[in-house]
Amino acid sequence: MGLVARVLESRGIPTITLSLIPDLTRAVGTPRLAGLSYPFGRPLGRPHDSDGQRAVLRAMLDVLAQASGPGTYVELPFEWPESPARARNESKDLPPPPIVELMTKKPWLLPSLYTGRIPESAPAA
Amino acid sequence: MSIDSYRFLDFASRQVMKAWAGRQQPGVIPFTPLGKPLADCTVALVTTAGVARNDDRPFDQAGERRNPWWGDPSFREIPLGTTERDVRLYHLHIDPRFGEADLDVVLPMRRLADLADQRVVGKAARRHYSLMGFILDPDVLVGQTAPAIAARLHADGVDAAALVPA
Repeated sequence: MGLVARVLESRGIPTITLSLIPDLTRAVGTPRLAGLSYPFGRPLGRPHDSDGQRAVLRAMLDVLAQASGPGTYVELPFEWPESPARARNESKDLPPPPIVELMTKKPWLLPSLYTGRIPESAPAA
Repeated sequence: MSIDSYRFLDFASRQVMKAWAGRQQPGVIPFTPLGKPLADCTVALVTTAGVARNDDRPFDQAGERRNPWWGDPSFREIPLGTTERDVRLYHLHIDPRFGEADLDVVLPMRRLADLADQRVVGKAARRHYSLMGFILDPDVLVGQTAPAIAARLHADGVDAAALVPA
């Protein structure tokens, strides 16, 4: 997402990027970044929690308005109301993503995933 | 760094993402100052939850299943007023049920309209955008998709974009 923000900024659109993994998003050189400790799939908060969602969006936009230069990073103070184990458990019945299935079947490909170097043997999509 | 959403992930995914973070080179960071007060800005949203309207082309999940190193690098327009009744989430790395129960969990168009009513922002843009998450090879995303979105944002008079992960 940080890479997309960079393209928009270089074409004259100011951006604010929210991230649940700000160490990675920051490392790609994201123009304005707000970090948040919420579970994946629920970046604004719980379904139907309008007040909580609005507060997160408002906090993002405050970073947009107040950032003074490139590389601004602010950690948002919101805390997820459930334990990480409980949040993970809610999605336990889902099948793993295709890349995780592949790594389970062919663990010798893990170094490629770690380095982000896509193997030349990868099939056409 | 006190932000730690990794605790919501399994150990292996955590290790992979931390390894990626250590390998990035930020280079020169582009920056466009906000040209006017936020209260006068038209704001657009971009999500990576893989949201597509039911009357639009779905994101290519089958392609990613055939080649897990690949992710659909295209984008979808999501007009303001679209709700969870009109869409599906195609991102294969998140639980889509939360965003399908309440689209504002990933694409907060109603919350943005709330903030326009409260005069925090000027107004919500008429079109918002969705991408797939987990795209390992960013070439098409950076070279084609993001520039196409930028052109539409300019065409709609958008003053700023808020990017939401999934």
